Amino acid sequence: MPVSKILIIDDEWESAIVKAVQRRLRDEGWNTIIVQPQSQWMVGEEFETAAIYAIEDERPDGVLLDVRLGEHRDDQFKGLEILRQIVERYPALPVLMFTQYAQGPARDTAVRGALRWNAPVDFIDKLASPEEVVLRLRRLMGSSPDIIPIGAHLLVDVGAETVSARQDRAGTLTPVTDIHGMKFEIFRELAAAWYRSPGELVPFSRLERYSEGEEARASLRVRIREIKVSLGKALGIQLGANDLIVNVRDRGYRLTPPQM
Amino acid sequence: MPRVGIRPVGPGGLARLLGALILVFGVANLAVAPVVGEAMFARLWGIEPLTYMGAALVILGLAITSLAYLVSDIVRSRHRASDEDRRFAERWTQVTQQYFDLFNHDLGRPLRRIVGKEREIREQLQAAGSDIHPSIRELLDEIEEQTPSFRLMMSNIQVLIELETPNTGEHLHAVEPAEVVRRIVDRYSLVAADASKQIVWWSEPTEFGIVYCDSSAIEHIVTNLVDNTVRYAESFAEIGLTRDEKSFYIRVWDDGPGIAARYLPYLFDRGWTPEVARHEERTSSGLGLFIAHSLAKRYGGDLTVESITEPDSDHHTSFTLTLPLRRAPAWNAGEPVA
Repeated sequence: MPVSKILIIDDEWESAIVKAVQRRLRDEGWNTIIVQPQSQWMVGEEFETAAIYAIEDERPDGVLLDVRLGEHRDDQFKGLEILRQIVERYPALPVLMFTQYAQGPARDTAVRGALRWNAPVDFIDKLASPEEVVLRLRRLMGSSPDIIPIGAHLLVDVGAETVSARQDRAGTLTPVTDIHGMKFEIFRELAAAWYRSPGELVPFSRLERYSEGEEARASLRVRIREIKVSLGKALGIQLGANDLIVNVRDRGYRLTPPQM
Repeated sequence: MPRVGIRPVGPGGLARLLGALILVFGVANLAVAPVVGEAMFARLWGIEPLTYMGAALVILGLAITSLAYLVSDIVRSRHRASDEDRRFAERWTQVTQQYFDLFNHDLGRPLRRIVGKEREIREQLQAAGSDIHPSIRELLDEIEEQTPSFRLMMSNIQVLIELETPNTGEHLHAVEPAEVVRRIVDRYSLVAADASKQIVWWSEPTEFGIVYCDSSAIEHIVTNLVDNTVRYAESFAEIGLTRDEKSFYIRVWDDGPGIAARYLPYLFDRGWTPEVARHEERTSSGLGLFIAHSLAKRYGGDLTVESITEPDSDHHTSFTLTLPLRRAPAWNAGEPVA
């Protein structure tokens, strides 16, 4: 599985808030590179040069970019100038603006002036939790990866169409052979929704596409039960009604990683 | 080559032109009265009525012209005053926004340090391999829980400044409502989980697509609703996104104790909170729902509430945001910005 590379451009890279985000990005399995201008006196222009050079040199998969780079009045929106250059030179490169200006006129100016509606650029508040930063970056970099890890014990390989499980964190992931065909498709849908947004529920109407016969809902229920039995066996635990795949108010299902 | 434009003549200009024409005709009448009078009537007595008529026309022309000048002057000065008022209001908003940005930045800095340190402590405790003592975890959670409230408070003030600016137009662009809801759920999921509450969302159709609206406005309205919901839900909160031919709807539902029917008419009033009615100490500013409701109305939609209170077993509160499905703005031939 290729490791994603995230470039962090922030003048406060030693701050606890940036470090917490950096650690969470590493936990996600991503490489982080911090852009540091050569000069001791960090002004916006030096960040601009260093950032563009680093993108050229490192070819990152995503960028986390602050808006205010330096304390000078002219540097207040330097990050937006860097953003404009990135959008112009590397239009496909996902950029997450990590800033206190996540809303309001600064964001609106940047958005109206430089971006098209489908540009892979988003804004997030500096007070956002590291988890929120990871989720937002995941979606910017591609909502359906080939490999979806669900907690430490389950892994969905979309390309190979397999679900693997292990009972211990240190153990080896073993494919669960019972989950294939329609059952795999159902589990893949649930895993992809969870990966995009852990609170996302997949409505019955979407999952019923993978059911057969006139009683699509009943058939879906049976398949979900079978998936839970197979995965419970592979994980060595008994999965109850509120574990792993949960029916939410009879509207759809959502995935919750197994608590082990 | 510079273009030469013809400025359309307004009613004031037409009145002045008419007055001038009458005036010229009157003067001409006076000038030719002796000649024409004598020629027409072969006697001098014909001069007098023509002179009177010329004089009357001169007076009428002068009156119309003066009146037209006077009226347009009054109208112009009123326009000038309202333009000055508008410019002043815009300038006031700009200055307020600048001060607010400064305030937000400087107030946010210590808060970011506190939150950063809190996250560091949490990680160090986890790395040490020891379970965090429940009371310490509670303290750390409390700091973490206050951050979304701070973020919301700051953006509420920002939106309030905008709302109080006269003549602020709508900012329509392409928005993915599902992505907006996703972001809000990202923000509140951890807070809800810390309080042993579950927050889920869904959209029907699953591929909801784009609508033309203001993403900041939708995000702001729904964030206020979700912030309330997470606070008052007993164990479960749900956000549903649906659409029909004319509108799209975002419903925020929670299984909380419900809002008493007597409070519902005041819910969207500025500064109103249940504590105000009970003469208790206020725990919130009472601005969130007022702003949410005002924004919904500004974008041609509505925000409604429905609630069933305890002891009914189906107690809940449900807010529904309705916004019209608009066409792409005419100024944007291609895909608009988001």
